[in-house]
Amino acid sequence: MKEFGPLIHSFWYLLRGAGMTVLMATSAVMPATILGVLLSLLQVFGGRLLRSAILGYLFLIRGVPLLVLLTFVYYLMPLTGIDLPPFWGVVLVIALYYAAFISEVFRAGILSLPQAQWDAARSLGMTRGLLLQIVILPQALRLAAPPYVSLCVSLVKATSLVSIVGLWELTMASREVVERTLAPFQIFIGAASIYFCICYTLALYGRYLERRALLGH
Amino acid sequence: MTGTVPFDPHFIARLIPALLDGAAVTVELAALTMAICLVWGLLVALANGVRGPLGWVAGGYIQLVRNTPLLIQLYLVYFGFSMAGFGLSGFASGLLALCAQNGGYVAEIYRGGLQSVSIRQFEAGRALGMRRWTLYTTVILPQVVARVIPPLTNQSIAIIKDTSQVAAIAVMEIMKITEVWVETSANTYDVFLGAALIYLVLTSIAGLIGKLTERRLAFAQ
Amino acid sequence: MEDTSNDAPSLAIEVSQDRRQRPMLEIAGLRKRFGTVEVLRDVSLAVSHGEVVVVIGPSGSGKTTLLRCTNLLEEYEHGTILIDGEPIGYRTDRHSGRRVRMSEREIARAREQIGMVFQSFNLFPHMNVLQNIVAAPVRVKRVERRQAEVRARELLAMVGLSDKAAEHPIRLSGGQQQRVAIARALAMDPKIMLFDEVTSALDPELVGEVLAAMQQLASDGMTMVVVTHEMSFARDIADRIVFMDDGVIVEEGKPDQLLFAPQTERVRAFLKRYNDRYRI
Repeated sequence: MKEFGPLIHSFWYLLRGAGMTVLMATSAVMPATILGVLLSLLQVFGGRLLRSAILGYLFLIRGVPLLVLLTFVYYLMPLTGIDLPPFWGVVLVIALYYAAFISEVFRAGILSLPQAQWDAARSLGMTRGLLLQIVILPQALRLAAPPYVSLCVSLVKATSLVSIVGLWELTMASREVVERTLAPFQIFIGAASIYFCICYTLALYGRYLERRALLGH
Repeated sequence: MTGTVPFDPHFIARLIPALLDGAAVTVELAALTMAICLVWGLLVALANGVRGPLGWVAGGYIQLVRNTPLLIQLYLVYFGFSMAGFGLSGFASGLLALCAQNGGYVAEIYRGGLQSVSIRQFEAGRALGMRRWTLYTTVILPQVVARVIPPLTNQSIAIIKDTSQVAAIAVMEIMKITEVWVETSANTYDVFLGAALIYLVLTSIAGLIGKLTERRLAFAQ
Repeated sequence: MEDTSNDAPSLAIEVSQDRRQRPMLEIAGLRKRFGTVEVLRDVSLAVSHGEVVVVIGPSGSGKTTLLRCTNLLEEYEHGTILIDGEPIGYRTDRHSGRRVRMSEREIARAREQIGMVFQSFNLFPHMNVLQNIVAAPVRVKRVERRQAEVRARELLAMVGLSDKAAEHPIRLSGGQQQRVAIARALAMDPKIMLFDEVTSALDPELVGEVLAAMQQLASDGMTMVVVTHEMSFARDIADRIVFMDDGVIVEEGKPDQLLFAPQTERVRAFLKRYNDRYRI
């Protein structure tokens, strides 16, 4: 397998695919995080009805593969007549999917804070909004940061699934090149390396955050 | 393509057996993966704990499978191996890739489980004069087992969901069958609903098994 | 008028004559249960301005719960609590005469007047000492930050920790954290301070510095309710000692009287057990 020629020739193409992967991932991460934090707060403070609704949503999302959801939306889109570009369709699905996992991570962060922190803040006369803002959330965010970064890595890897419903990103690009060059080993190893660079960097950042969180508490 | 006739009973009557066939493949794939990974993950975890080249290889392996998408691993095995001459079937490729990736995750679960047992347990055992074998089998291992059950349960759920990706290499599990039926019929909703339902049932069962196992072993703590 | 001419910074609490007539803290008929267990059974207590009341008793007697009900960290089913004449937590509705829970904002405002120090320090770990102390005055009372910081440094000097303003709580000893906690509570200018077993979690050699700070506070005229196990400290600081057991106040009186000539058998038994263990 010394002929990595095909890989070298197509590397720029693959990199462009990686660019699309990164674009997709970053587009999905932001709404996913916002929604995830919102869901976790609603779960902690919301009424029984709201909590049940959210639990139902979480059950569905965590029990059904992302690929099923993506494919479903892909077939559904033309039928409903909503004129959404496919890129945003998949980004939306990925965001909704990961919001569920992110909410669990943040909820765990909030709940892991000792009751003592709430007591101290309330005894100083802080209202719930204020104590959330300056006491609870800053700490919960720090605690949730390492598992959150893990989820971000998972999200980047999940963008590969959109190739199955026909969208173009790194995995689709590598499949195109393989079809052209018939050198699956080299090309897929090349694609894997690019994914590895992106994900491992994120993973290292996550481990750095984990060490920092341990020192702080 | 207009999937606008939901809940057509005749259609559903034909759909269910097909989906169940797919479910059988899914379950087979997932169960085999889990069984293999329990052992393979342990080996990797043990290797990872060793100092020297073996530890580095194991550590590198874990990082590699955790930071590359399963789909790429699937394509690599399926297309790569067939080009190299020893082509594997879709199912076998899927099994290999799933075990490769989840072996890494399971190894990390084992590591986390061992690390979470307080060092005081080790000290207490040694203070009582236990030698290493007794210490590990009677004090440490039962606690590790209890601690790894929840994350392993989550991992098994993830494995069940990951099997959907082998649809990309034409294995007739639930996702692939869903795809085929949606393409060839008009009932988009029914098919997806059925698929989602089956996945929910499978993952819920996995979760229940995990909870029961946890409870059974809880008294061992 | 208080004498404010000594060197160490102090609070110099001044209270006008007519306000002194009204109790600072008035608890009446407090009843609370946790599930099926009645933790507080018709407890009533009045604390005057500038008075230091120490509450002692066995574990499970309801002492901590009493304190936590005072600033509504715990709910209770029956009873009223007045801080300087104003109700906190629950109020009787003027029209219907029914017991009505005050709104979150009203309760938060009432809590500003009560300072509480806990057994487990409860400092905010993500802020340094100075930030911990100014957080509430700046964000709750809208005090200007610079002004709040000046006051914070005064309070830090009072508890003897001027050099620790930029440190994070994790770098401080238990006794130092507790003194910061006291300064933080004082920064809100409370009318009354509650202390919930603030030395129980400390190593013995760190207890003294905290008790000294509390003693200083008492001499400055702060109204205090202190739950503690430290009997000799209780004797030194208390104007009045209250003994609680099993959810009721069994006996109260001046320190020398309650500690050395208790009227009730339960108090005697408790003190005997204490003496046997610590031999005061």
